[in-house]
Amino acid sequence: MSRFVKLEEKASVRKIRRIPTQGDVLVAKGDVVEPETVLARGTVVNPDIREVKVYARLGVDPEQVARHMLKEEGDQVKKDEVIAIARSFFGRFTKVCRSPMEGTIEVFSKRAGRALIRGKPIPVEIRAHIPGRITEIIPDEGAVVETQASIVRGVFGVGGEVHGELAFAVENPGEPLTTEVLSSDQQGRVLVGGSFTTLDAMRKAAKIGVGGIITGGVDQKDLTEFLGEEIGMGVTGGESGVTTLIITEGFGIYPMNQETFRLLKSYEGRKVSIDGTTQIRQRMLRPEVIIPL
Amino acid sequence: MGSETKGKSYLIVDINNQTTKAVMIECHGEGCIVKGMATAPTTVDSPDLDVTVGIEKAASSLGGKLGRRIWGEGGPSEELSCLCSSSTSGGLYMMVAGLIRRISAESAQRAALGAGALLMDIYSIDDSRPSYKLVDTMRSTKPDMFLLAGGTDGGAESQVLDMAGLIDAADVKPRFGRGYKLPIIYAGNVDVRERVTETLTEDKYATRVVDNVRPLIDRENLGPAREGIYDSYMEHVIVHSPGYEKLIEWVEGDIIPTQAAIGRLLYAYAMERSVNMLAVDIGGATTDVYSVYGGVFNRSLNADIGMTYGISNIMKEAGVHNVMRWIPEEIGEKKVRNIVGNIMILQPDTLTPEEAMVQQAAAREAIRLGLEQHRKIATRLKGVALKRTLADMFDQALEVSILDLMKTQSIICRGKIFDERHTAEDSTLLILDSIQPEGVTEILVDRSSIMPHLGMLLERNREATLQILSDECLHRLGTCIAPKGRAREGQDTMRIQVSTKDSVVSEEIVTFGELKSLPLAAEESVRISVTPSTRFDVGTGKGKELVAEVRGGEKGLIIDARGRPLGVPDDIAVLRAWAESLTMRPEILTA
Repeated sequence: MSRFVKLEEKASVRKIRRIPTQGDVLVAKGDVVEPETVLARGTVVNPDIREVKVYARLGVDPEQVARHMLKEEGDQVKKDEVIAIARSFFGRFTKVCRSPMEGTIEVFSKRAGRALIRGKPIPVEIRAHIPGRITEIIPDEGAVVETQASIVRGVFGVGGEVHGELAFAVENPGEPLTTEVLSSDQQGRVLVGGSFTTLDAMRKAAKIGVGGIITGGVDQKDLTEFLGEEIGMGVTGGESGVTTLIITEGFGIYPMNQETFRLLKSYEGRKVSIDGTTQIRQRMLRPEVIIPL
Repeated sequence: MGSETKGKSYLIVDINNQTTKAVMIECHGEGCIVKGMATAPTTVDSPDLDVTVGIEKAASSLGGKLGRRIWGEGGPSEELSCLCSSSTSGGLYMMVAGLIRRISAESAQRAALGAGALLMDIYSIDDSRPSYKLVDTMRSTKPDMFLLAGGTDGGAESQVLDMAGLIDAADVKPRFGRGYKLPIIYAGNVDVRERVTETLTEDKYATRVVDNVRPLIDRENLGPAREGIYDSYMEHVIVHSPGYEKLIEWVEGDIIPTQAAIGRLLYAYAMERSVNMLAVDIGGATTDVYSVYGGVFNRSLNADIGMTYGISNIMKEAGVHNVMRWIPEEIGEKKVRNIVGNIMILQPDTLTPEEAMVQQAAAREAIRLGLEQHRKIATRLKGVALKRTLADMFDQALEVSILDLMKTQSIICRGKIFDERHTAEDSTLLILDSIQPEGVTEILVDRSSIMPHLGMLLERNREATLQILSDECLHRLGTCIAPKGRAREGQDTMRIQVSTKDSVVSEEIVTFGELKSLPLAAEESVRISVTPSTRFDVGTGKGKELVAEVRGGEKGLIIDARGRPLGVPDDIAVLRAWAESLTMRPEILTA
């Protein structure tokens, strides 16, 4: 069952790190970076968009709204700012339309007399994730980080990018990772289990604040309960509030491959960067443990 | 035989996400024959980033097998005609829009699905989502192409323009390539064509105008929209995939979506034989259902339901207990879930008997979900006033779906779950359990996986293509006789008399709950007379006799008296008995 696990010892690792939009790159070629170093920052479109029936607020026909508008498409507005005003009877009666939130007037339909206001852009940033050197700058988007490292790729994972000290919770690859071996001093660490981890252990690890768990297997039912939803198409990595988990062999109880266990053991105590992101279908993205040398 | 193909050799290639399959077909004098086939991994992704690399490998391998040179200098040998279908990059991703969800948007949906598209979303003026939400989803979901319909010819205008305006306001960007224009097919009210093209301007969109998919409220015209989709796919979508620019130079005619090629072939097969047909294609990640009823073709797609990548999603959509109810062994939920999860993440080449059992169970639910979806797509035209008789009123509401298993003469299934690695018993039972054919239905499976290739050859030589389909592609499992209705276990269900031209060979009373097969070879046919008991119907009405000429197959005459709708038993022993029942051969029929 371990045919998908790829071990690479002392390999060159090249990570392309980009923000999902255009923004500012904060590093230069040749810079030495740490996992936490922010490489680029930008903003993405806010999904919160609201429709304002301007014609209804002003009490006019939709086609007449345009002449009452104080703002145009692209204008920024504050919450409760007046965006349209209608006066009647020589200014004695006034009706206004205010913005329901801070944002930008994205669309104004002259025909429908409605406006779409989108919330303020959301800031995004990308960190290095691995320690290394910047070898290339991607203008307005990010950079390429390169380092020498050993890599362990799992078959499935959940949770996003984490880095921490590699620690062993078990003595051998056939031993399970249970609640008994978890304690508060493992906070922030990346724990290696053996054959599988239990639901209770995953919950306790999340409570303690364990950085991540690497284990041979996990019961799919336990993982489903841990995540609170069915796995479906096997696209993971975006889960929030879960401890990053990487399984190296498959669902069920599978002692971790001896080679994998040996390799990880040889780096006990080192800082590692892990990512549970998995995409089974489209990109065949497998979760990975990167151990910088 | 079409003179166009006389003395011609074809190299036909189908490219999917994983595999590129090359088939060589030679046409001489009286017909065409499949000379051979070979596969190679698809090379559209890195490191090759050139689809033609995989084609060359497959073609060279085929040439090696056949002992002839079919690959020349940088392309197929000149004496060959090259045809191609493709479903790389997940296929053709489309959005459709219309005015009314159940009328023009539904017609547009049928046109897009019929053209082999994977539908991402459907928009209409009567959409329950507010317009800003529509704008937002259009913007965030990047399609390969947009199909806009709406309004009968001479009908609604302003709403059609509103919808065009909405698409423009959303500034929909195509899935691949920042530098290219989004293809939009306009297939709505002819009177506003010009104004639609003025709204969806040339600088941003590659708008193509075709005939209305719904020219009249009671008439649907999907052909021009489908052709428009193929043309735009060729001109604006496929050229952006790595290597296709070179491939286009090699191929004769258009490269069309794989599912469209299969659909064309199945439609031609059903029309040629004048039968109503239902076909199910289960892939690793998707399940397609095609049907032809009364000459009307439909295709539906469950995009994330499949046997490997999509198997976990079956469990999500159907529920683990619905999958488990089909497993004829005691396997706990934890284990079932682990098996399903491992099939998804590891896609093993071989399965243990236990894993195969779970996959077979999941396949039943995949087909059930696929048929549910198909019933929603394959419907009579809505919005048309129906004349109802008094009898209709007593006979419940008129069925919206045109899918009618009692009126289905032919069922065809394809996908790895039906290939030669699975026994005829497994395949037959899987089809009986999941589709639940009613009346008298022949059951066939595609064992050669060259349907897309034959779909490409069809236009060049229809007669020979259909001959190859019947002779070399489709494998007959048998003809099923399944009465509709239910009774108590052991009660008489029907009397079946089997006879040849000369004599009666067999006569028996079938009781409720029985499932068995009477051997009859695929090339043989017999005359059957089926008289159901008063509570059952085999297509002629309750208790009324049906006489028909039927052909056999690997499982011969399949008698399924388990009732319709089929009740899934709680008792595993019954499931085991069903699994074993088709292997029994009580007596030999000799035609």
